[in-house]
Amino acid sequence: MKTKLTIITLGLPAAIAAMFAANVMAAASGPVMRLFPTTVLEDIKETGAVAEEMENSLQDVIARLDLQQQLYTESRCADADEDPGCGRIAKQLGATYLEMLSNMTERLPAMETAVNNTRTGLEKRLREELGQKSTPSDLQNTLLGRVSQAENDQPAIALRGRSGIRLSDRFKQYYDLVATRRSGSSQSLAVIASDIYLDMEEASQMIAATREEITRAELMEQLNQSFGHITPEMTQVVNGVKSILFGESALMSPIAAAPMPQTDAPFVSPLEI
Amino acid sequence: MKTIMQSFKTRFSLIVLLVLAIISACETTPAFVDCRVNLKGPLASATRVIEDKLVNGCEYSFDSYLAGLIDIAIANPTPENKKTFSDFLVRVSDQGTISKRQAKGIYNRYFNVKFVSLEGDYNTCSQVCPVRSKVLADMSNELMDKEMGLMQASEDAGSYYRADHLLKEAEIVLEATCRACSAGGI
Repeated sequence: MKTKLTIITLGLPAAIAAMFAANVMAAASGPVMRLFPTTVLEDIKETGAVAEEMENSLQDVIARLDLQQQLYTESRCADADEDPGCGRIAKQLGATYLEMLSNMTERLPAMETAVNNTRTGLEKRLREELGQKSTPSDLQNTLLGRVSQAENDQPAIALRGRSGIRLSDRFKQYYDLVATRRSGSSQSLAVIASDIYLDMEEASQMIAATREEITRAELMEQLNQSFGHITPEMTQVVNGVKSILFGESALMSPIAAAPMPQTDAPFVSPLEI
Repeated sequence: MKTIMQSFKTRFSLIVLLVLAIISACETTPAFVDCRVNLKGPLASATRVIEDKLVNGCEYSFDSYLAGLIDIAIANPTPENKKTFSDFLVRVSDQGTISKRQAKGIYNRYFNVKFVSLEGDYNTCSQVCPVRSKVLADMSNELMDKEMGLMQASEDAGSYYRADHLLKEAEIVLEATCRACSAGGI
């Protein structure tokens, strides 16, 4: 009885203190901290690994496609349908293209699962934490906190579509950023979460488009029609795959100039929101 | 005696009517208020001129006065302009020309990094997402006012760039958040 009482008298204040500390931490970090639970972090890691496998398996075939396409263009084959040499290049190109599609058929299910897991996990978190539990004012405060800390913080991640890097490297970068910032400043996590989510949406669309193209190409094979020329769909799919996996068509322009250093303490108006 | 009393009553009534007529005539004749003003720098003295006009019947010219003051501030840029505007807006809201909310709105629209266009007390899914394009268009317009207030009038390029960056980040976060909201049927 005495032991129980001791546990209660010592344990209760400790539990209250722990709860208080947890509340204070939660209040300090805000809802944004909960954007990346361990499950989402693991999904990001997994997507990066799957993307890397896919890149490695497609690198050679895409390099060959590029060379063949270059040869086709330089030989002015676009306007020479009857030329037997051009016909051979076009057939080789078609075969390489089919090889790329078949390679992707093998890898796509794993990629699709990883992408969808990451997308669904982030979608739920974004909806709950930023959509339902935050007001526009909260959102702005969160982002502004991140902007004002940007000078003293770790280097900011390039915003979506601007990195020009491989998908797997981008996921490694995401993972490192989230893993290191989860225990530190959290404001930029809202931008990172949004960035990854929108990337995943694009990747999902790309996967769907590729699947359609694979079906179309397979049907053409079944009809025993060889590729006699480069179709716009082929170019679109190859460019899409290159853009998503290798970041080759990404824009490189900066989004804004760096903030100028402020020397004096800034004026704070009583009217500021 | 009765006739005298009646005559007195009639005269008294006439006098009362005359006095009432004079009073009502005074009340309905509007006093001419000249709200035109030729504003010149420095900004602090221009704000005093405007305050005088505002308390003397020119409240309806507030918007044009404000535009004039911004022009003066742009013509005479200094970091002090931010404080001068803040003090001016506090005074005119204290004197009742504009509300506190309006004063806050104007100050923050021109001189703060935060966007008045992205404020609100309801959740983002319900308040912003249905009108996201309009909110972002309003924010872009507000950024132009911040360019005038922060960059041109207050020489505070750093704050302007932060606002510019904030807008770009808000675009991405809102795009993702609103897609997530609609995917959940919200």
